[in-house]
Amino acid sequence: MSGASAVKALILTGFGLNCDSETAFAFEKAGAGAHRVHINSLIRGDVRLADFQILAFGGGFSWGDDHGAGVIQALKLKNNIGKDLLDFVDDGKLVIGICNGFQALVNLGLLPGLDQDYTRRSVAITYNDCGNFRDQWVRLVPDADSPCVFTKGLGVSDYPVRHGEGKVVADPDVLASLIANRQVVFRYADANGVPAKGAFPANPNGALDDIAGICDPTGRIFGLMPHPEGYNHFGNHPDWPRQKACAKRQGKSLEQTITTGIRLFENGVNYIQRSVSIG
Amino acid sequence: MISNIEITLKQDLRDAEGQSLVKKAHAYFGIKMDDARCINIVTLESDLGQDELETIRREIFTNPVIQESSLGPLDIDFHFCIWVGFRPGVRDNAGATAVEAVRDLLKKDFLPGENIYTSKRYCLTGAELTREDAEKIARQILSNGIIQQYKVFGKDQWDKKTGADVKPAKVILNHTPGFDFMDIDSDEILARISHERSLSLNPRDIPVIRGYFLDKKVLAERAQMGLSKPTDVELEYISQSRSDHCCHNTFNGIFRYTDTETGQTTTEDSLFKTYIKAPTLALKETKNWVVSVLWDNAGVGAFDDENNYVITGETHNSPSNMEAYGGAITGIVGVYRDPMGTGLGSKLFMGSFGFCVGDINYNGPLKPPLHPRRLLDGVIEGVKDGGNKSGVPTTFGQTLFDPGYMGKSLVFVTALGIMPKTVNGKPSHEKTTSPGELIIMSGGRVGKDGIHGVTASSKSYSENTPAGHVQIGDPYTQKKMHDFLLICRDEGLITFITDNGGGGLSSSVGESAMLSNGCEVWLDKVPLKYEGMDMWEIWISESQERMTIAIKPENLDRFMALSDLHEVESTVIGKYTDSGKLHIKYKDKTCAYVDMDLLDKGFPAWEFEAVWTPPASRGLTEPVISTPTDFNSLLEQMLARPNICSKEWIIRQYDHEVQGGSVIKPLVGINRNIPTDASVTRPVLTSESGLAFSQSILPWYSKIDAYHMMACTIDEAVRRLIAVGGSLDHIGGVDNFCWPDIGYDAVSNPDGKFKAAQLVRACRALKDACMAYEIPLLSGKDSMYVDGHLEGAFGERIKVSALETVQFSAVSLVPDVSRCVTLEPKTAGDYLYVLGSTGDELGASEYYEMFGKTGLNVPRVDFSKLKTLYKALEKAIDKELVASCHAVGRGGLGIHLSLAAMAGGLGLDIDLAGLPLTDNLPLSSEKALFSESAGRFIVTVGPDKKQTFEKLCKGLPCACLGRVTDSHDRLNISADGNPVADLPVATLDSAFNKTFGDRI
Repeated sequence: MSGASAVKALILTGFGLNCDSETAFAFEKAGAGAHRVHINSLIRGDVRLADFQILAFGGGFSWGDDHGAGVIQALKLKNNIGKDLLDFVDDGKLVIGICNGFQALVNLGLLPGLDQDYTRRSVAITYNDCGNFRDQWVRLVPDADSPCVFTKGLGVSDYPVRHGEGKVVADPDVLASLIANRQVVFRYADANGVPAKGAFPANPNGALDDIAGICDPTGRIFGLMPHPEGYNHFGNHPDWPRQKACAKRQGKSLEQTITTGIRLFENGVNYIQRSVSIG
Repeated sequence: MISNIEITLKQDLRDAEGQSLVKKAHAYFGIKMDDARCINIVTLESDLGQDELETIRREIFTNPVIQESSLGPLDIDFHFCIWVGFRPGVRDNAGATAVEAVRDLLKKDFLPGENIYTSKRYCLTGAELTREDAEKIARQILSNGIIQQYKVFGKDQWDKKTGADVKPAKVILNHTPGFDFMDIDSDEILARISHERSLSLNPRDIPVIRGYFLDKKVLAERAQMGLSKPTDVELEYISQSRSDHCCHNTFNGIFRYTDTETGQTTTEDSLFKTYIKAPTLALKETKNWVVSVLWDNAGVGAFDDENNYVITGETHNSPSNMEAYGGAITGIVGVYRDPMGTGLGSKLFMGSFGFCVGDINYNGPLKPPLHPRRLLDGVIEGVKDGGNKSGVPTTFGQTLFDPGYMGKSLVFVTALGIMPKTVNGKPSHEKTTSPGELIIMSGGRVGKDGIHGVTASSKSYSENTPAGHVQIGDPYTQKKMHDFLLICRDEGLITFITDNGGGGLSSSVGESAMLSNGCEVWLDKVPLKYEGMDMWEIWISESQERMTIAIKPENLDRFMALSDLHEVESTVIGKYTDSGKLHIKYKDKTCAYVDMDLLDKGFPAWEFEAVWTPPASRGLTEPVISTPTDFNSLLEQMLARPNICSKEWIIRQYDHEVQGGSVIKPLVGINRNIPTDASVTRPVLTSESGLAFSQSILPWYSKIDAYHMMACTIDEAVRRLIAVGGSLDHIGGVDNFCWPDIGYDAVSNPDGKFKAAQLVRACRALKDACMAYEIPLLSGKDSMYVDGHLEGAFGERIKVSALETVQFSAVSLVPDVSRCVTLEPKTAGDYLYVLGSTGDELGASEYYEMFGKTGLNVPRVDFSKLKTLYKALEKAIDKELVASCHAVGRGGLGIHLSLAAMAGGLGLDIDLAGLPLTDNLPLSSEKALFSESAGRFIVTVGPDKKQTFEKLCKGLPCACLGRVTDSHDRLNISADGNPVADLPVATLDSAFNKTFGDRI
């Protein structure tokens, strides 16, 4: 991927991560220069995190998810480049964690970042209540008042979930803080865009309060189980053939649509372009 | 020192795994439990101190939000506790990643002999639980004796201090590696050695082998290397290379085919050459999109100006029959190495599965190694972990049930990759080895895994089948290797690459050295999982996740640096030469020295008698069944049949859209629960082109005639592609044959000649279909012994053979994915058409099967007529005249109109009166609805397109049977105005989903 754009996004690769190509593609489509970088290249110093403005922890099965999803990835990064990560956050840059990346962020403690503590693990993401890995599309309703940078202006959004461990859990007081701080960015919703209230399969994993994604209090660190990069093209949506038939009847074309998946990444890229001095 | 860390979910949290165990125990065995809690155990053999152990317990193994843990046994109540751990030498993936984590956290290396092992214990509570129940759960749900061991503890046997007292599952061989010389004084002696060592040498090969090693010139050359009689390494090499699995002796054999009706006998020299190779090469001449076929690990076709795609299919039947999870995960991870080892290496972008198992509710006397229910659970999970953890979407799959598969179940796995057309300016599909290049082994280490796997799969399952060949695939290690090798490819470091599958190094090095004409291998350099392996074991071990790569010496440093960055183990294990010799050394001592062309030394072709008796002469007739009066209940019951009903629970466990290129998913329709005809994927995200992929398996027709089984299977696969927007201009095929034993023996295989004739007939249909539809066979495999000898009620063993089965996979290029069509009617007011003729063809249909009948009138495919129809439909789809399109398959129009209605969530008003009929012969309603005639589609067309569509289909069997409606939500079928069936779509939906609905 080229780095022609001023905004540079780093997408982690290696050790069983597997959504790096489409995440990079989504960032490129959103106007960023996307760079797929092996975790060891960061650790060894071949690539400097400080040279980037957005850091993406993507989906996959890091270390096979053998000891809890995202656990060893979080430990490895904390253990080797923990300070770089905290500096990155301190510099006002953006971090997004998707699926396995979200799991890594909560295990690093970068999320939920309550009381400005970016090292404490207070949210866990555990096995789906249904007992199985599950691939399905979900409808998400954003909290319009959330500080999250990535979801500004996004309405109800459909993305795929693909996980066996996606149930967000936390102690009641942590949960209460998240809700009060507007850190619950996305909730699983029914067909009408109303929170699913735990009902399967609209809420595919049994996550408390239908939580699909959370951000830190600044809104610059965002983690979610669904895959926005999985909706990078109109053809990804399971309803596209009917959407196309419908659009046609209205004399419109589906092909020109900018998907809500890409718009999520655009929000991140635009934020950097607006607010961070680049270079 | 040995330490155990126990980890569990906090007691107030739901234990999903425990809940699933409670449910399973009840559903499978009627065992009632109140609760089950799982505890993970990490066993360390190391010199770590108490502080370090405490650190890793806290930092690595315990999530403070949801878990609790302890360096001793956790005090959790139970009535019975079951501990389950691996047997020594079985791949422990979680143990391996734990070592990585501990090493990174403590910055400390593990010494030889130190390691981490994982196991589990389950705390079961329930006042009614008995020890027998617990034993049953341990043996029949939680563990498989082939790879695991278990212990059951009652309350009174539990010591709270020692707990399960887990010891490392460590392999200790205490053996000094060596090699032996084998006696070849007579054919009988070599035959005995072959039997004793499970070499499976064909008796007809034995004189040829002896002839070679007794040849004076050979003896003289060998003497210079210190060798005389053949070594065990050499005989094992020959055994691997000559096995049916590697050599395809059956498909290259000589068949004497007699038709008992005509009395004519014909001789088939090689089914492979006549029916696979010749048509494919002929088609390659006319299809410039065919890039590479018939020699590499997978076939290669053109995707666009910059990229080629790669496709292959495999089965992994024998191992899956004994250890379903391990067999299936090894199968899918294994087939994924084929595209990685095709050309200079391709990136995987999709996979698919096909499962054929016995009746999962079987409760008769036969005792298969695994009950079909358990087997299916295991293979589903194996493909799930293998596919999902590889980061490759599983976009298509089918599951079939038939009693014949209880003898041996089938696990098909198919893989597709994509690669740039050129690497460093050179075509990526070409590769060779040259003298001086280094032989590198990358990926996993070598253990005793899978030894004699190749020869075992070349035999029927019996009580003597060695169980040691079952392995557990490691997608994590392979994914790291996949990423690493693609970078090496793009940097131009690789000159040759192939995978280590069946036969291990023996096959991969042996075959790649044919190109340079020689090699020297240093077996002592091969990294091992544990010490003490003999040379022949290292040479033929099938330990997984390994690739063999040739690189030029000047590229070694860069290759190793990248290998190190990706934390993939790579080792130089020899060099390619042009000596004409396969030369294997161990610490400078030669243990094998044979001619590279040894395998061309006139080994005799296998020979088969094939005797065909046509179905009518075999006594098959049509059953006598009058027209039913209750079509509503009939439709409901048909929809609920295992081979028709929804398998959504399987498909959703597979990530079918990772990599972001999904266009048509495995499940479609308004409720996203109807199986698609074919999947469509964009392998290159910057391109609007896609690849449509379909599969068909229709083994039931083999009950009548395997020729028509094959013809119908290919026709259905093609039709599925056309239905989504594929094109006859570009269809590549993959044939996967699974056949019962065809070698006649009056006692052990009395119907072998018939099964051989069925194989010949299937091959003839394969060629006829491929030539007619112009399908080059990009890849294909055969698995020839799908029989089992199952123990019955009285200690007898009964042979159970699978139906003659072919899975045909087909791929088609879709230049613009926005033209793709799905099967659900989309708009009320659209017209519904049936394309293709329906005839009295219910032989071996789902309808007859419901009544326990076979019949005679098997569906026949008239290729040239159908081709004209398909071309017309292809054009209609390309011109966007078609709103929905669905290929009519198993179960006939009745089932497929129901699927269309459910998918659209709209009503359908259908009258069968206008249905195009074969030769205009009238059909009763049940025959019209349940005939399985080939070549048919259900299509809906908008009112504004009606005229154009009908004009395009003029003169073809195509008729409008009704309309899509939103004035009601029913499937309403009549015949000439007389009501036949009329039931709510919701009723169809509930019938379709109830059979496996509780599995989620």
